[in-house]
Amino acid sequence: MQLALFWIFSLLMLLFAAGVVLLRNPVSSAMSLVMSFVALAAVFVTLDAYFIAVVQVLVYAGAVMVLFLFIIMLLDLREEKSRRVRLSAWVGGGLVVGGFVSALVQVVSSLPGADSTKPAVSNPEANDVALVGFALFRDFNFPFQIIGVLLLVATVGVVLLSRKELK
Amino acid sequence: MIQPIALEIIVVCLGILLLMVEAFSSKTSKTPLAYAAILGLSVVFVLTFFVQPSAAGLQESGFYVLDPLALFFKRFALVATIVTLVLALDYLPIVQRLVPGERPGAGSGEFFILPVFTCAGLMWMASAADFIVIFCALELVTISLYVQVAYLRRSIASLEAGTKFLILGALSTGFFVYGITWIFGTVGQTGLEAIRQALPGVPEAAQPAMIFGVALVLVAIGFKIAAAPFQFWVPDVYQGAPTPVTAYLAVASKAAGFVILIRVLEPFFTVIAFQEKLFLALVLLAGLTLLFGNLAAIPQTNFKRLMGYSSVAHAGYLLVGLAAIGDAFAGRAVVFYLCGYLLMTFLAFLILVPVSKASGGDDIANFNGLARRSPALALAMLIAAASLAGVPFTVGFFGKFFIFEAAMKQELFGLVLLGVVTVACGFYYYFKVIRAMYWQPASEDAAPVQVSVLSRLAIAICAVLILVLGFYPQLLIQILP
Repeated sequence: MQLALFWIFSLLMLLFAAGVVLLRNPVSSAMSLVMSFVALAAVFVTLDAYFIAVVQVLVYAGAVMVLFLFIIMLLDLREEKSRRVRLSAWVGGGLVVGGFVSALVQVVSSLPGADSTKPAVSNPEANDVALVGFALFRDFNFPFQIIGVLLLVATVGVVLLSRKELK
Repeated sequence: MIQPIALEIIVVCLGILLLMVEAFSSKTSKTPLAYAAILGLSVVFVLTFFVQPSAAGLQESGFYVLDPLALFFKRFALVATIVTLVLALDYLPIVQRLVPGERPGAGSGEFFILPVFTCAGLMWMASAADFIVIFCALELVTISLYVQVAYLRRSIASLEAGTKFLILGALSTGFFVYGITWIFGTVGQTGLEAIRQALPGVPEAAQPAMIFGVALVLVAIGFKIAAAPFQFWVPDVYQGAPTPVTAYLAVASKAAGFVILIRVLEPFFTVIAFQEKLFLALVLLAGLTLLFGNLAAIPQTNFKRLMGYSSVAHAGYLLVGLAAIGDAFAGRAVVFYLCGYLLMTFLAFLILVPVSKASGGDDIANFNGLARRSPALALAMLIAAASLAGVPFTVGFFGKFFIFEAAMKQELFGLVLLGVVTVACGFYYYFKVIRAMYWQPASEDAAPVQVSVLSRLAIAICAVLILVLGFYPQLLIQILP
């Protein structure tokens, strides 16, 4: 059962992720991304990571994607024209992707635990909201503070790069 | 004695304070902000001498390490940021022209404040001992640099550079995180010290996964230090970015990348199973980077683009030093090279800014006749170019010499041969600049070159240090970690 669910949701996720790249209309791309995020959240649920799954839906599929759609509609983006891609680019890109995927397949198949459906860390009993909270604000407080500075810089940067006339 | 962590906190507080002043003051002139930032960072630089590096160095949490190497690179980051701010002061008229503002000078204050935050990120990178901290600090540095690269919003080149840097930087971040997850998945740790302890116990079946993770991390750091074949963002970004930011990218961002590389690879070099493969990867990277950087620099006519390819080439020499890390002196040779690289790169950019202001462009042709227009600047540029090329009696020569010496001891004869051949290429393209200054007539409409007092001071210090260390390198080697 668990294995079947995993395959269904990961295939869905990959299909929609491919749709983000392949579809020509920006709105369809954005909607595919939403679906991909939802499928990813479902995969998280099968791993007992309920909190991450909920956050995935709330933050990514909800807030972030609404913002994306807003921007796409505001900018009134049209359908992308199909581009001609040079043969050399196809070959180069194909080689990189092919090499990467073959390395990945080799590594995954060599792993001892590759055929188990559930990682050893999953624990349905745990209160994962509390665990995430402790990890974030107590154990990993130092990197968390750095992220704070990072967000400040990003905010300043957005104002600088997007305001029409700077005061 | 002050707490080591206080250094970064002071730098961040300085940045926030300056942001507040910028937001609430009604003054149109933004130069006081730059002077305040330079002063504040200088104070922090002095404070670094009151911090005691500990031998074990690791703080309780395992996130933060303060060994001599970390302390040295904190000072390195501070010096690089101060010089960048001096450059930015000189560059201010161009920023004011190319940033859309309601009044003249609006929006140029942050040009002096963002490097302060970048500096904090660089200092954290120097001390990071955990993949999560490395990642956060690295992102702080790169995201603040994205903004600085795209700062000149009315310049198409700057915007293009910013976009390219953003997209390729995001790609490399993806590689980095993916690599970290593989490493974490194999040993269940993110701390470098914990990984070092867990590494010998990794079963043989899990070793490919570990190597895969390290390879991905290596790719991501390759982006940051501009090693071939991950260098394709360099020429456009270096050319399009504001000149002070180009200098900052070339020096500080690269040096921080090398610190991370040294720290991340260190645990893996202790285990035989990984040693050989990593060594092979480093040798390949170094060879490719040397060849690509030096050969692609030959036909360049734009000075910033030339410096971009030259920075790729220098990354190649540094990687040769890392490949020879088995030698006892190789680590210090790499740090020595980075210090020399700081001096000569900043010297070149300190001269480029006033010259391009006077003659209206960044091409090598803009240096035409500089020897007659401004003999002192031409002499300084001569020193910088000679040192970049590696002429004896400059710091650049000893940098390359020490690295090749370490590589010879490790019997990397192929790399040393490649290095010597590519140094000859370097002579050709750096001397194009010298030829333009001394043998080409100046164009008719060239304005006289004016240099501010602070820049003059910085130019003089860099030039003198390049020569002094070229005669007496022990002066620096003594204080190296």
